[in-house]
Amino acid sequence: MKLLAITSCPTGIAHTYMAAESLQMAAKAMGIEIKVETRGSVGVENEITPQDIKEAHALIIAADTQVDREPFAGLPIINAPVQEAIKNPKGLIENAMNAKKLSNPDENITTSKEPEKKNKPSGPYKHLMTGVSYMIPLVSAGGLIIALSFIFGIDAAKEKGTLAAALMDIGGGAAFALMVPLLAGFIAHSIADRPGLVPGLVGGMLAAQIGSGFLGGIIAGFCAGYIALWIRNYVKLPKSLEGLKPVLIIPFFSTLLVGLLMVYVIGTPVKAIMDLMTQTLKGMTSANAGFLGLILGGMMAFDMGGPINKAAYAFGVALLSSSVFEPMAAIMAAGMTPPLGLALATVLAKNKFTPEEQEAGKAASVMGISFITEGAIPFAAADPFRVIPALVAGSAITGALSMLFNCALRAPHGGIFVLLIPNAVSNLGMYVAAIAIGTIITALLIILLKKSPAK
Amino acid sequence: MNIQELLSASRVKFNLTSNNKLDVINELIEVLNQDGKLSDKAKYKEAVLRREKEFSTGIGMGIAIPHAKDSSVKEAALTLGISKAGIDYEALDGSLAHIFFLIAVPAESNDVHLKVLSYISRKLMHQEIRDRLLSATTYEEILAAFKE
Repeated sequence: MKLLAITSCPTGIAHTYMAAESLQMAAKAMGIEIKVETRGSVGVENEITPQDIKEAHALIIAADTQVDREPFAGLPIINAPVQEAIKNPKGLIENAMNAKKLSNPDENITTSKEPEKKNKPSGPYKHLMTGVSYMIPLVSAGGLIIALSFIFGIDAAKEKGTLAAALMDIGGGAAFALMVPLLAGFIAHSIADRPGLVPGLVGGMLAAQIGSGFLGGIIAGFCAGYIALWIRNYVKLPKSLEGLKPVLIIPFFSTLLVGLLMVYVIGTPVKAIMDLMTQTLKGMTSANAGFLGLILGGMMAFDMGGPINKAAYAFGVALLSSSVFEPMAAIMAAGMTPPLGLALATVLAKNKFTPEEQEAGKAASVMGISFITEGAIPFAAADPFRVIPALVAGSAITGALSMLFNCALRAPHGGIFVLLIPNAVSNLGMYVAAIAIGTIITALLIILLKKSPAK
Repeated sequence: MNIQELLSASRVKFNLTSNNKLDVINELIEVLNQDGKLSDKAKYKEAVLRREKEFSTGIGMGIAIPHAKDSSVKEAALTLGISKAGIDYEALDGSLAHIFFLIAVPAESNDVHLKVLSYISRKLMHQEIRDRLLSATTYEEILAAFKE
């Protein structure tokens, strides 16, 4: 195992070299190879080469001056004040040895020199994509397992102890429950490395619990990541406590802050939005049917599992008990078109999607016909400002058409499976047409708005 | 590697009389000044204290290295002081300091001197060299310790 180190101090006369010597002595005693670059008043000595970076396991930066990390992308970096290397070189070396490689540094070095680097996702977008890429398989697995449970009949899962109920527990109760936490966790992980994961997961869980959906999860992920990063880089602790930082200090404070933020800052408006939407919809019961369908449809696709979607869905379900079946039909149709439209788009315009997304498109088609709107979430999360408007427009039109065609639905879920049940849906032919039209509109708008992924 | 040039016999004091941080800095600066290496004693002292304020140069292991790079220094010079009793220099590890290297570097310094300083700094990290410095009673023994 080979380690690298950089030592540097403001005056560059003594500490830089003492730290270097101290690290070298400790490494020698431990039987470890180390190369120490000194940045003192004499200038840079024993400079680290790209070859060194390729061979190295980790880098120790013991400096009280600014050291550019860019050349070392891909190497785990142990940061410490220069005094730490003088006082506790063995501890720093142990930390460096225990550090996990982030990725193959060989790749990193070569790619960072290629000119197309600029086109690579960077900054917040990169973190978002990282979170989404972890979420995609989870959504596919969960969605397909839920769809599988519908095969036993749309209400089969209500019978405790049946296979259908088990499938619903696996797909809906477990896999989908993990969706938002996982998204938030890996967004935060992408930002702050390991310290970000815990606050991200917890923040994401809270986002799900307060009903803020995947949009709340994205907020949680970014807050968690940047808070953890900030604590890691800027909170200085006495030497004796420094060891507690990764296992106690960062997780505790970042999780606490993100948690409070989610409950009080995000949770309160989310609840307010949901209450407001519920009230508004109640007042619209007697409104023009087409307009109501338009609004309900748009709401279904806006945040998929967030407060706006939930308000619309709850409105439809509530009306079922008063034997008003048309809004429910509009709601389900509008909940099917987002994944269906995206699935169609991945087939029609392959160049607009990553290979990963093209695969996710296949799973989305199954989720779409099963009225599992969540199938669209990975796409919406990856590119919210382009995808969500397209989904909303397609769903709104579907909702409006369904209302105008006087379609009615007597069950609150089931997708295509409910269509096969006699008399569950009235005006079946036009209902299917409304869904098909919405799917095509959604797909076309997505193709129009979305940019090709960076190669 | 010419250590004599940086650390002449006239700037080694075997029995420091001070018993606190500020006094020992004054005592060492006085030695340096009497040897004619400073153009402005007060200004140099100020620079040393400013550096101490950033972070104590009591690096532990019984060593303190007060230093300043300043225009008040005529030419690079080391001053060595040894205190058998030890002085509280606000060291990182809380131990008393026994070996004091006051480092003076002019604003414009040549690399040779800086290289010697970096060499000495590195040497100080070795236990056996610190032990030899502490037990030294003559200038020759000090030089020999570094020339290992």
